[in-house]
Amino acid sequence: MREPLLRTLGLAVAAAYALFIVWLYVRQPQTVAEMTGAMSASIGAYHVDELAFADGLRLFRANQFEASRLAFDRADRAHQDARTQFYIAYSYYREGWGRVYNDDVLFQRGLEAIDRAIAAAPNGRIAVEDADLQLKSGDELKAELQAGIRRDASDFNPLKVFRQRK
Amino acid sequence: MIREAFILPLSFLTVALLGGLRIADRVVLLPPPLFSLVLGFLLLGLLVRCGALAPERLMNGTRSPLQNAGGAVILLTAFAAAAQAFNAAIPESGLPRLLFSVFLFVLLVNTSAAAPDRVRVLRSMLVIFGSAFILKFIVLAALSDPAGGWLKRTLLAMLEGLTLGTLSQEPYRPATGYVAFAALALFLGSLTLLPARQTTALTRTS
Repeated sequence: MREPLLRTLGLAVAAAYALFIVWLYVRQPQTVAEMTGAMSASIGAYHVDELAFADGLRLFRANQFEASRLAFDRADRAHQDARTQFYIAYSYYREGWGRVYNDDVLFQRGLEAIDRAIAAAPNGRIAVEDADLQLKSGDELKAELQAGIRRDASDFNPLKVFRQRK
Repeated sequence: MIREAFILPLSFLTVALLGGLRIADRVVLLPPPLFSLVLGFLLLGLLVRCGALAPERLMNGTRSPLQNAGGAVILLTAFAAAAQAFNAAIPESGLPRLLFSVFLFVLLVNTSAAAPDRVRVLRSMLVIFGSAFILKFIVLAALSDPAGGWLKRTLLAMLEGLTLGTLSQEPYRPATGYVAFAALALFLGSLTLLPARQTTALTRTS
């Protein structure tokens, strides 16, 4: 009677451990916070720190992008909240945007952040209602970041100095 | 029974987890490349051939479905661990990756053709994985170290005239080597715990 119980328990433990390993290899968490956050997000128990998010938003609107990202990172330690990652990506866009040329490194980081946001959003769809933003969806922001990094003939158009930051 | 239900599957799964762990600026978990799967399969075949692993003791018609399921889990996890052990031992890129892969493949085929007994195969595995570990995590790591050191200077003097472009690897943190060492040691230890083929003792009667 004891042996079947132990064998069943062994199978269950091995199956759970194997699933955990596969999950780790798929999600590739970088920190313990990311790992625990991703696990709690998968069961819908993950929440951002709203106070830190409000700090980040205030700093973002004051064009203090680096400081805003620190606050957003504090709010979403596991990088699992689509809205926070969207704002982080947007902060990279605004900081990296230039009338003559864009900062490719910042735009690349913005792309990484928007990819995280899209991965975390239900069905990959992000829509943020914020009157301060002209790009209100993840798709628009990602397209803008990709266009900013791309090299093509339009880069040599002198009229581009008249474009506006979104 | 505890060994079959818990110790072997969990230790093999731990090897499968740690074998792909690489710690540099960021932590990366590398899944096994296809060639590691081939080498892992060859290694399991070799273990069966030499009697270090007796699949018939893990799965057969006289065992209950639960026991057979446990046996199947051991075989599957042993295969995953073998693939990840090779993943840990083989360099990630360049000429060393090719050389290590071919070298390990030939070694496994050669050992299989020699049909040694269980103890000799396990000793051979210790030498194969030990050598690969030293070459990858000590020699190649020293050559790839951007800061350099006495070992790098010595090796450069020995390899005078040879370009390091094809030899150097992505530098990892020292923790990667320690983790790989633990994974390989656990793997080799777990291989010795596999149910071996039972041989009938022959006694001379006069």
